[in-house]
Amino acid sequence: MFSIEANQLTKQFGTFTAVDHISFQVNEGEIFGFLGANGAGKTTAIKMMSGLLLPTSGTAMIAGFDIRTQSKLIKRNIGYMSQKFSLYGDLTVFENMQLFGTIYKIPRKELKDRIMNSLRELDMEKQADTLVDSIPLGWKQKLAFATAILHRPKIVFLDEPTSGVDPIVRREFWKLIYLAASKGVTILVTTHYMDEAEYCNRISIMSEGQIKLIGTPDELKKKMEVNTINDVFVKFVKR
Amino acid sequence: MRTILILIKKEFLQVFRNPLLLSILVVAPLVEFMIFPFCADYEIKVLNIAFIDNDRSQISKDIIHSFNSSEIFVSKGLLDNKEEADEMMKHDQIDLLIEIPINFENNLYNNENTQIAVTANAINSVKAGIGTGYVQEIIGGYMQDFAAMHTPANMQAAISSANETAAQQKQGQRQAAAVPSAPIRTTNAAKVNISNIYWYNEQMNYKNLIVPGILVILVTLIGCYVTALNLVREKEIGTIEQVNVTPIRKWQFLLGKMIPFWLLGMAEFGAGLIIMKFIFGISVQGSLPLLLGITAIYLFVMLGLGFFISSVSENQLQSMFIVLFLFIVFVLLSGVFTPTEGMPGWAHKINYLNPMSFYIEVIKKIILKGSAFESVMTETIVLSVMAVIINTGAVVSYREASK
Repeated sequence: MFSIEANQLTKQFGTFTAVDHISFQVNEGEIFGFLGANGAGKTTAIKMMSGLLLPTSGTAMIAGFDIRTQSKLIKRNIGYMSQKFSLYGDLTVFENMQLFGTIYKIPRKELKDRIMNSLRELDMEKQADTLVDSIPLGWKQKLAFATAILHRPKIVFLDEPTSGVDPIVRREFWKLIYLAASKGVTILVTTHYMDEAEYCNRISIMSEGQIKLIGTPDELKKKMEVNTINDVFVKFVKR
Repeated sequence: MRTILILIKKEFLQVFRNPLLLSILVVAPLVEFMIFPFCADYEIKVLNIAFIDNDRSQISKDIIHSFNSSEIFVSKGLLDNKEEADEMMKHDQIDLLIEIPINFENNLYNNENTQIAVTANAINSVKAGIGTGYVQEIIGGYMQDFAAMHTPANMQAAISSANETAAQQKQGQRQAAAVPSAPIRTTNAAKVNISNIYWYNEQMNYKNLIVPGILVILVTLIGCYVTALNLVREKEIGTIEQVNVTPIRKWQFLLGKMIPFWLLGMAEFGAGLIIMKFIFGISVQGSLPLLLGITAIYLFVMLGLGFFISSVSENQLQSMFIVLFLFIVFVLLSGVFTPTEGMPGWAHKINYLNPMSFYIEVIKKIILKGSAFESVMTETIVLSVMAVIINTGAVVSYREASK
């Protein structure tokens, strides 16, 4: 069984087609990259798969649940991190994690242990009682990721998680992604950093709402006869 | 349950960490309470009055004299002509002019209709209305005495009065005041006693009306304004998206927001009642639990309205404008500061949709009159129905908005 299985997924806003009949599969524990220029339809696709938007036509199975009819069950089994940082800035690190953990119905004691563990992994134990607004952006992004996986979802959707973050934090962030994937979590990540695309198991390149290319980074490089994903992208856009 | 509790905790933490919101919640009401009742005062303490006596008879002198015995009237003396009076009224030196016509006394004895003209400066309409009322009372009283002394002669005295604004006078526009000229019959005049007792506000102390009005405005502001900004703010900063991907139910999320602001609103109302008692000396005449109960319902109406506005707005600015618009309509139509009796029929019909107009009725009835549940039952039912409708609307529109 695939972790994510999209079938002719389409979203129209009026006459504008944001996502145009995309179909793809993602395996369990895979890190799948969504590449594409701004406005290619990546965010819309993610919003449909995470139950924030209903598709105009087509369907997708997320962790075995239908996005049209079983969005409640999907929501329980996914984590989501948007391109806009969206934890509460006027709550502390601990309060944010406690809030979201409680919404996912993690038992009180267990929740506290999980929060402390994940803060230890992030090396942010000292910041537990700091207001989120007053910590640096890179740390915020790591915190948002830790919060998104606190309830141990089967799939995590990351929408441009590293935009605006410095290279060192980006590297640390990808370490966290690998760590999660090694535990069997499926990761679907959008990015426009081409070096990050190299870290993915498989990538797809979207343009004008459609998936134009799909495969492992090596396959795509071979296919386009270039050395880096950056060149794949440039060559693709020029074509 | 645990979900809602953690949401309530979150909301309280946020309120108490937001200095601007806190000051809106705490400082603004206090300032309103401390300043507003002292400015919004319709009480008439002094009325400057002048006379034109074209009759120069004993009766006309008596009438003019009868005004001297009143504490509220300050006589600016006898004037020669209308032009002089006009000039004085324009410069705000007199509020009222009384003009006694030629042959007034003769006409009175000959049992013919005669009229005394009362002109009031209607720039201040409250002053003009109350002033002409007092004048009528005094002249009417004199006429009664006169009639009683001159029985069985059958006499009629009619008083008509006209309100004129000094400004309008020039253009020749006259506003006739709706003061009915009442013929006084000698046969029963001695028995008739004109007396004005203002019920439920015996001293005509306007603070008694203004202070409860401010209480209403306070509750409305907390309920509607603060919540209208709250949800849309989460939309703006993007946190609502993070909440929407969780399995939380929409009504749970709204309830988690509603309860904290409901508690805050009730606390503000309580504080308002305490201020009302100890600073303005107005204590609740009726049942306190009844008052709190209806206030709780009214708060739910306003909270629901706030969330409804919040869920249909794109940003805080938009929802602020909607609230401001509604708020002004509510206040002006509700009769919080202006009497609704003078409003046209269509305004009364609009008022059936105005929760504030029902609530101010309840407040006036329970706080000033001490009414029991029976006399506020209609208002309670209407407010309850409104609460259900608006809150259902809020949940539905929030659900639609996040699709």
